Formats: sequence, C-alpha cells, structure tokens
Amino acid sequence: MPFPRITAASHFDVGTAGTIDRFTNENLAGKLLDIGVRPGSRLRIIRKGPFGGSWYVKIDRHCMALRKQELACIMIK
Amino acid sequence: MANSGTTPPVISAPVVGLVGNPNSGKSSLFNLLTGLRQRIGNFPGVTVEKKSGVLRLEGLPDVEIIDFPGAYSCYPTSLDERLVVQELTNPEGDLFPDAILYVADITKLDKHLLLFTQLRDLDLPMILVLNMADLAKETGLIVDVERLSLQLGVPVIPVSARENEGIAELRSAVTDLLRNPKKYRPEEPFYEPGAQARDVLADLRQELPARNDYHALLLTHHASWLKHIPEETRHLVQKARVSRGFHSLRAQVEETMERYDTFEPIVKDSVRRTGVNASTSDRLDNLLTHRVFGPLIFVTIMLFLFQALFAWTGMPMDFIEWFFETLGSGVRDTLGAGWLTDLLVDGVIAGLGGVLVFVPQIAALFLFISILEEVGYMARAAYMFDSIMQRFGLNGRSVVALISGHACAIPAIMSTRTIANWKERLLTIMVTPLTSCSARIPVYIILISFAVPEGSFLGMGYQGLAFAGLYFLGILAAMLSALVFKLILKSKERSFLMLELPEYRTPVWRNVGLTVWQKVRTFIVEAGQIILLISIILWGLSTFGPSADMAAAEANASRISVEQSLSEDDAADLLASERLEASYAGHIGKFIEPVIRPLGYDWKIGIALFTSFAAREVFVGTMATIYSIGSADDELRIRDRMAEEINPRTGQPVYNPATAWSLLVFYVFAMMCMSTSAVTKRETGGWKWPIIQFTFMTALAYVSAMAVYQLMA
Repeated sequence: MPFPRITAASHFDVGTAGTIDRFTNENLAGKLLDIGVRPGSRLRIIRKGPFGGSWYVKIDRHCMALRKQELACIMIK
Repeated sequence: MANSGTTPPVISAPVVGLVGNPNSGKSSLFNLLTGLRQRIGNFPGVTVEKKSGVLRLEGLPDVEIIDFPGAYSCYPTSLDERLVVQELTNPEGDLFPDAILYVADITKLDKHLLLFTQLRDLDLPMILVLNMADLAKETGLIVDVERLSLQLGVPVIPVSARENEGIAELRSAVTDLLRNPKKYRPEEPFYEPGAQARDVLADLRQELPARNDYHALLLTHHASWLKHIPEETRHLVQKARVSRGFHSLRAQVEETMERYDTFEPIVKDSVRRTGVNASTSDRLDNLLTHRVFGPLIFVTIMLFLFQALFAWTGMPMDFIEWFFETLGSGVRDTLGAGWLTDLLVDGVIAGLGGVLVFVPQIAALFLFISILEEVGYMARAAYMFDSIMQRFGLNGRSVVALISGHACAIPAIMSTRTIANWKERLLTIMVTPLTSCSARIPVYIILISFAVPEGSFLGMGYQGLAFAGLYFLGILAAMLSALVFKLILKSKERSFLMLELPEYRTPVWRNVGLTVWQKVRTFIVEAGQIILLISIILWGLSTFGPSADMAAAEANASRISVEQSLSEDDAADLLASERLEASYAGHIGKFIEPVIRPLGYDWKIGIALFTSFAAREVFVGTMATIYSIGSADDELRIRDRMAEEINPRTGQPVYNPATAWSLLVFYVFAMMCMSTSAVTKRETGGWKWPIIQFTFMTALAYVSAMAVYQLMA
C-alpha cells in the first residue's frame, strides 16, 4: 500500500512501504546518510519492537532498527 | 592534487590498514591474513584497543596490518569511528598506513562505498576487497569485477574470508601495491568541495597540514577534536569557519548526497541482481524478534547458556583440580617440609589451582558470547531491549556490554565504544561491573556451599538456584544503579539507536576460536601474575610480624599448651594460629575487623577482603594460604578447611549461612578488580568516574552485606 502523501514514517503501520523524500532534522540526516538511509531509498516498516519505542524497518534490502523519534524525521512520499 | 611524491619504491616497514564499515567481515579477513601472528595493544593516546598483526609476503619485509575499528564515514559519531578519522588524517602518525585494504560487503556495495570514496579522495593507495563473495553466489548477485575496478580506479579483489577464497589473489595484489604504490594513486577525486567549502578552504588551505583539498576539508570539519592539530591552527579554523559562514553539518550532508550520486551509477552498472531473495534471515527474524516470542527466546537462550556453562564443564574442571592437587602433594613430597614448600604449595599452587580450575567455564562463557556476536544475534537483542534500556538511561547497545560483563567487565566496558551518546555510554560503563563476571565464580562456588544446604526443589538444586539468584541480583543492581545515575546526571545530547541488523550467518569458527583463545590466555597470564605476586606477599605478611608481638605470641602459646596439657599436634596448631594473629597480616586483619564485624566477618576474612580488592579471584588463594598455615593435615581442600574453622568467641563455625550470604552479597556488589578500574579510567578519560564507581559499588556492597547479616544472624 503506497503512502498517500508526504508524511513522517513514524505515522505508518506495520507492512507499509514508501520512498524516502527528505529528512527534517539535519543532525539525524547526517547519521542516517552515513548508514545508507537516503532520499530515494525504499523504506518498509516490518514490525514494532517488543516494548514499543524501536521499530524494525527495511531500507532497500537492508534491515535496520530505528527509534520512533528517528522515523519521525524521515518524510516518505 | 597530490603534494608529495616522496614515497620510496619499496617501503621499509610497510603498514597496511584494514578499513571498512562495521559488519563488513573485516575482522574475519584480518584473522585469515595474520593467523596467530596478532598483537593486541592500544592506539597511542586514545587507548582504544588496537589489533595489529604481521602479514608475510614474498620478497617484502614483514607487513604490519592494522585492523581499524569499523566506520561508516569520515564524519564520526562514535569513539571507534573518531579513531579511524584521527589516524587516517594524520600522515605524520605512526599508524598512518602506506596502503589501505578497503573491505566492503559485496551484498551492500550501495552503502559500503561511501567511506571508500572518502578515503580514496585522501589520496591513499588502495585495494577494494569485496568480502562475502560466497554470499553473492547464494543471493544471485553478479558483480562485474573488471568494470567496477575500471570505474573506481582501484584493483578490486573478491574474497570470501569465510570460505578462504581469493586470499592468494589478494596477497599478490598487496605485494604489487607495496612495490609500486604510485601506480595505485587516484587520478581524479570522486568529490569536489562545494562553493561554501571552497571559500573556507581558500582561507585555510595554506595553514593546514593537508595533503590535498579533501584532506584540508576534513581537517576543517574536525579540527576541534583532532589530536594532531595544534591549538593555534584550531583557532584559525574556527575563525575562518565563522567568517565564511561554513556550516559543518550542512556541508557534510551535501557532500554525502553528492558522493552517493557519484558511486550509485557505478554500482548499478557493475552489479546485477538475479531473482528475488526471500532470505532465511527474514524468516528467522519473524520469530526471533517477534514482539512476544522474541524476548521469551532471549531469556531461554540466556538460561540455557548459564545452565550449559555449569553442566558441560564438570569434567575438565575435575581434571584441573586433580592436576593441581597431585602437583601440590608431588611438590611437598619432593621438597619436604619447610617454608619454601609452604609458600609453593599453599600459596602459589593452591592459589593458581583455585583460579585455573575455572578456565573451562570462562572459555565456555566467551565461546557462547562470541558465537552470539558472530551469528548476529546481539544486534537483535539490542533492538528488542532498546526501549527498556532507555528507561534506565541506557542504550539498546548496552545489552551487549551487560551480557559480556558476565564473562569479564573489561572487554564489556570496551564494547561500549559503539554507543555514541556520552551519558548512555558512561552509565553502561559504570554499571557493567555489577554483573557477575567469571572471576566471581570461584568465590560463589566456595561460599554457596556454606550458605545453602544441599537438596533440591522441583528438580532444581538449591545451590544452583542460589547461584542463578546471585547472577540475577547483579543484573538487578546494575539496572537500578543505572536508573539512579540517570536521575542524577543531566544531558541534553541526543541519543540514537540507528542500528544495523546484519543478516544471520553461521559463525566463522576461526574467529570464535581466536577470540576464546586470546581471552583465556589473557586471563591465565594476568590472573597468574597477580596470584603469584599476592601469594608471595601474603605469605610474607602472614609468616613475619613485629618481633615483640611474635615473641609474645609464642610465649603465650607455649604457656597455654602447658597449662592445658595439649597434645603435640594441638600445641602446634595453637602456636601457628597465635603466630598468624601476631603477624603483619594479622595486624591488617585486626585493623579492619571493627569495620567488618557488623557484616559478620572476623579478622581472617578481613585479610581475604583486603587482598581481594586487587582482584576478587584472589579470595580462594588467600583462604588457602590463611587456613593452611600450621595445619598438619594437607589432604584437605580449601572448602573443608574453612568448614573446620570455629569462632573462638561463640564456639560456632565461622562460615555459618549468615556470614556466607553476607560475603556472597559483598562479592556480588563490591568493585574488586584493579584492571576494571584501570579500564574505566581509560575509557572515561580521568580518575573521576573510576573513583565514583569504586565508591558506590563498595558502599552498596557494605550496606547490603550488613543488612543481610543483621537480618539472618
């Protein structure tokens, strides 16, 4: 299911996927870019952590754990 | 663009750096290239663990290979990454490599080439090593190596460190590179600094000790913390950055985006994917990181791990115990009675035996932990427990330290270097020594037999349950202390998770074996040295004393012997115990006694506590020395000697359950390891935190042990 419009990744449910449009926080952007998360990457939310907080996502083909606050600054189109 | 052409044709003592992203299999390759010719030291100044080894190549002097910590880019977030940037931007430094083997995971080229292009622009001769070539075949990945090599302008060698493939090709490529390093220099950079960066560089280019523009740019970004940049240059950089409106973060993002745009087409052009891979890793994670089953499986794994630790190590432990007993009685028979025999048998051999008997358990613990690490499970544990850890002021990554702390706090504390947030890292360092490390095992085992009766409940032995309880107590104390520190310390620094979850892999047994071997060897050597030293000192302290006191003790003993007409053996025992009390060790014990009496300890236990502050594993050896002096019966083990000990005031055994529990609790909490304090000092950069750590742990130990004794007695 595609995302309807540009929205923060933290608003989406397990199983949704979209393409990263931009980041809203420069500090996080630097780090995300370093680990290979960048505009144009495909992001899919795989599952939420056992105790909330951290989410299991797939960026392109690579698995990654991101916190909800971290996902909140990733805008998806 | 290069400003030096002074590299000699063959370098006299070549240094090759192994660089790459975390999880690129760099260490496997390092182990494969160097085998057992490895040294573990510290990076100068920063004292981060440095792994280096020797690579022998035909026709060349020995090549030193340095395994740099994993890094994502030249814009470091963690201490590990800082080190890489520090060394690779300092051409004058001892560790500046003559060439770089850049290790990239062949299945993740789209990410792993970022750091590659940055280092390439630093004008270093490089070879690109595509690791995990075996996985490429499995996942239907086809890489056109020649095309990639042509477009990146470096030799590209696919290898599989796991399957030991491509190593011969790599070795000959390294040989060629070290013979003609010039041939391997880049022709043009991947990235040209943007307008803003050009302005600031125009001001600084001449002032900075830089090899080229990109080097100068990195120095401009990082001058404030790079150790080789002098203070005045830092000021210059700061001034230029302000006057030119240079925004470091923005420039970094811009550079990174541009680099991706440059190398992404190259990767697309030379890497083809055939077929989709519904990977086993994903299916495993459906279960292992499941919201409900994930944590349950984690707990099960941990329970299994500790159960196995004790179930599987019985036989080798019995053997080691038997060996040292045989050795001891052998030495006694050969040398005959005398002070040297006592020192050797009671101090050194008993002390060493008391600790070495736990080598199988320590090896097993390191084995399990390095397997969990190699397989990729630790990252999942960090993911699952991140939010809980956050509540206690820690990071998901702290789980790794808290688990490894059960083997040894030293590597555990060093593993916190991947935690970027200083407060989270500090808290992890502070509480990790509360988890029960393997050096506590000997102390626990001896004392539990006095604290808990034999017998079982629902098939589980009481003593085993008590043992598990002590481990749990350690974890609980660690978490609660973290919470207290969290509330005391304030920090505005942002905290991150951003954790890669690498694919599950079967462990490379070579790596696991090497880790276990290195850790066990270090344990034996260090524990051996300290036990030898303390045994000798303690023996001296307990044999000699102020001459007046010793004479008085002897006179007193012979007077009582005559008065009570004691047998010869009893008289000898009495004399020995009077002498011990009058000795220097006795004086120390007596001096401490008032402080520890509320905990239920006498002055002899005081001596053991005193020596344990050097390293807690000394406890058993100290007990052996103290209780063997004067005892005619050499067949008894330490435990039995302790059981025979009677409190002269009450006529009851000294080691009653109350005292034993009190001691156990004391050993769970107390900071009794000089090496750990030294590591804490190193990793926190001063004496402040190790002193706080020592004080709070020891105070906790004292108060809890007192509470336990007073409640039970």
